[in-house]
Amino acid sequence: MAVNKAQSGRTLAEVHQPELERALAGQGLWIDLGAATVRVQSDSVDFAAQLQSVYDQFPFEKQGIWADMHVRIRRPRGVRRWVRPQVRFQCDGQRPFEPFPADSPLPLFEWGCNWLIGRRLNDLLLLHAGAVEKSGLALLLPALPGSGKSTLTAALSQRGWRLLSDEFGAFDPESGAFRALLKPIALKNQSIDVMRRFAPEAVFGPEFPKTRKGTVAHLAPPREAVVRRYECARPGAVILPKWVANSPTRFEALAENVVFAALAFNAFNYSLLGAVGFQAVLRLVRQCPAWQLVYSDLDEALATIESVWSEVTERNGAPVQ
Amino acid sequence: MSNSIGLLPPSNLAWLQALRQPELALSWPLAEWERVVRLARRLRLLARLAEGLTAANLMDRIPPRARRHLIAEQRLSRWRMAAVVWTLERVATMLEDAAYPCVLLKGAAYIGQGLPMAAGRLPSDLDILVPREHVSNAQARLVKGGWKTVELDEHDSRYYYEWSHEVPPMTHPLLALELDLHHNILPPIARTHVDADILLKCLRPSKWAPWQVLDPADQVLHSAAHLFQDSEARDRIRDLADLDGLLRHFGVAPGFMSRLPERAQALGLETPLALACHFCVNWFGTPIPANVLKTVESIGPGRLQRAWLLPLLSSALMPTEPDDDPPLRQELAAFALLVRYHRQRMPLRLLVPHLWHKLRAVEIAGKTDAAKIADG
Repeated sequence: MAVNKAQSGRTLAEVHQPELERALAGQGLWIDLGAATVRVQSDSVDFAAQLQSVYDQFPFEKQGIWADMHVRIRRPRGVRRWVRPQVRFQCDGQRPFEPFPADSPLPLFEWGCNWLIGRRLNDLLLLHAGAVEKSGLALLLPALPGSGKSTLTAALSQRGWRLLSDEFGAFDPESGAFRALLKPIALKNQSIDVMRRFAPEAVFGPEFPKTRKGTVAHLAPPREAVVRRYECARPGAVILPKWVANSPTRFEALAENVVFAALAFNAFNYSLLGAVGFQAVLRLVRQCPAWQLVYSDLDEALATIESVWSEVTERNGAPVQ
Repeated sequence: MSNSIGLLPPSNLAWLQALRQPELALSWPLAEWERVVRLARRLRLLARLAEGLTAANLMDRIPPRARRHLIAEQRLSRWRMAAVVWTLERVATMLEDAAYPCVLLKGAAYIGQGLPMAAGRLPSDLDILVPREHVSNAQARLVKGGWKTVELDEHDSRYYYEWSHEVPPMTHPLLALELDLHHNILPPIARTHVDADILLKCLRPSKWAPWQVLDPADQVLHSAAHLFQDSEARDRIRDLADLDGLLRHFGVAPGFMSRLPERAQALGLETPLALACHFCVNWFGTPIPANVLKTVESIGPGRLQRAWLLPLLSSALMPTEPDDDPPLRQELAAFALLVRYHRQRMPLRLLVPHLWHKLRAVEIAGKTDAAKIADG
């Protein structure tokens, strides 16, 4: 790799914004998410600032040898540069979706990258779940709409659990382990304030009001998660979170068939993987104890999860350090 | 058009040779792999490359960074191919006792014959053909089997039933593919009018009992007509690769090549055949005997038409490099070809109102899409 040591050592936070802007306007920035690398080019100054705010701990790499996704976030020429300005998402010469307002390039980038990951990385089984790791084992939080998956994933990531992804449980059927697809956590509406109160020291990007899902803000992955993003995690446990206002914390074991459905039928590419997908989910269901967690209090929810984790690690043999 | 056989293809298309000779890919440095993965995916050829490498037992020797994308796309392709087979089996039972031929077209036909070039396709729809007088019967059987016709406004429904060679695309709540029911391979009002009876007289059996396929020469001509007379030419290298594959596969049968110009004349498809041969020979090195090429050229477009049409097609078909924006030349060529396409498809008195209607539909759809996707 043609990167000199001094450069490869710097994080995005340590780079002056104009330098980042120049890199984005030139060959681009290579962002290694763990299980995939995205190269992004952009002529948007807003994008440089927004990217820097939530990818702050990622290395500043302006010359990579490989990228799995090549993305351009660019302002269109012509009328749309000046009248109700927009930014476009482009990949390999194609524009798979409609532009966003010019002041929201980060949500466009995040949304677009997730779309590319979900469609392209079919070498992995992509479960729709938050994923965190502790003592070498992965905890999966499968998403059901309104489940509070992102909130709980975010909370765990701020309390000693290593974030793998808030969106993708990326399981490698060959190695039998989960891989990180580390990106900022997208928080919506009231969960933004919940997390600000829960982790005042955490790093947030700008708030984007008036998206279709309401207000969105991104939470930067902690330093440790970035440094360790190449480390895999063996399957540990599955917890289906369900946020219910004012509910006492309830924690109940789940039957295998329920867990199978929760994992397989929410996945991005379960049926596409055919027999490989079926075998992989079956393996996860057999290997992972699973619970449903109904909660309204985050601290209590976290304490509950911590309390079962020794059982999970024992079940899987000695903790891996 | 092309008198010289065995010309080297343009250097930026050299990678296409690996579709036929997968071992060539072993010499690619990582940067070339990155380029090919990006280009081939966009051109819908990545899974085809993967299937070639798999068949040659070379997958393990591909750099892992590239291999994962080959495997990923191969899975996508195999899933879609399985959906085609599954859907065709269901549709076959709906048409089981029909007293007329049911014909697979294009990709479905290649899969239905087990052609080697069918491996690695990414089918998203299914094209079948029945004789025109039986279309309503076939459609009624399909509807009974759960297929639904999309709701059309008055203009679109008139377009399909009076001016088109197919009925509106059908969907099924349990089957993943769209079904296109044809009664011809080109619209009946097009300048090139194809007599479907000629096609129907020369059908062949497929691997799957009830389904038949077109005569091999007609399959080539249909593919050529589809590419050169029936739609937009940009990023359509895949269709040329299909033509190359068909010509190589059927070309080994004695008499096949010399039959091509004969069938083209019978069907009025001389121009698409001449264009197909030109680009296959020059870009893919397809082995077509010199005497056949000469005949094809003599019945194809005249010198004047070649002088403007070949450069336009060449610009439009040549894929843009993944990091580049399409050159203005290509945009203009694509536009000129679009005008040609519409002129050939419909007389002007129908075309102008049709395009006006399309333009309005695109605007409305664009607004709905924007509303749908405008979130983080």
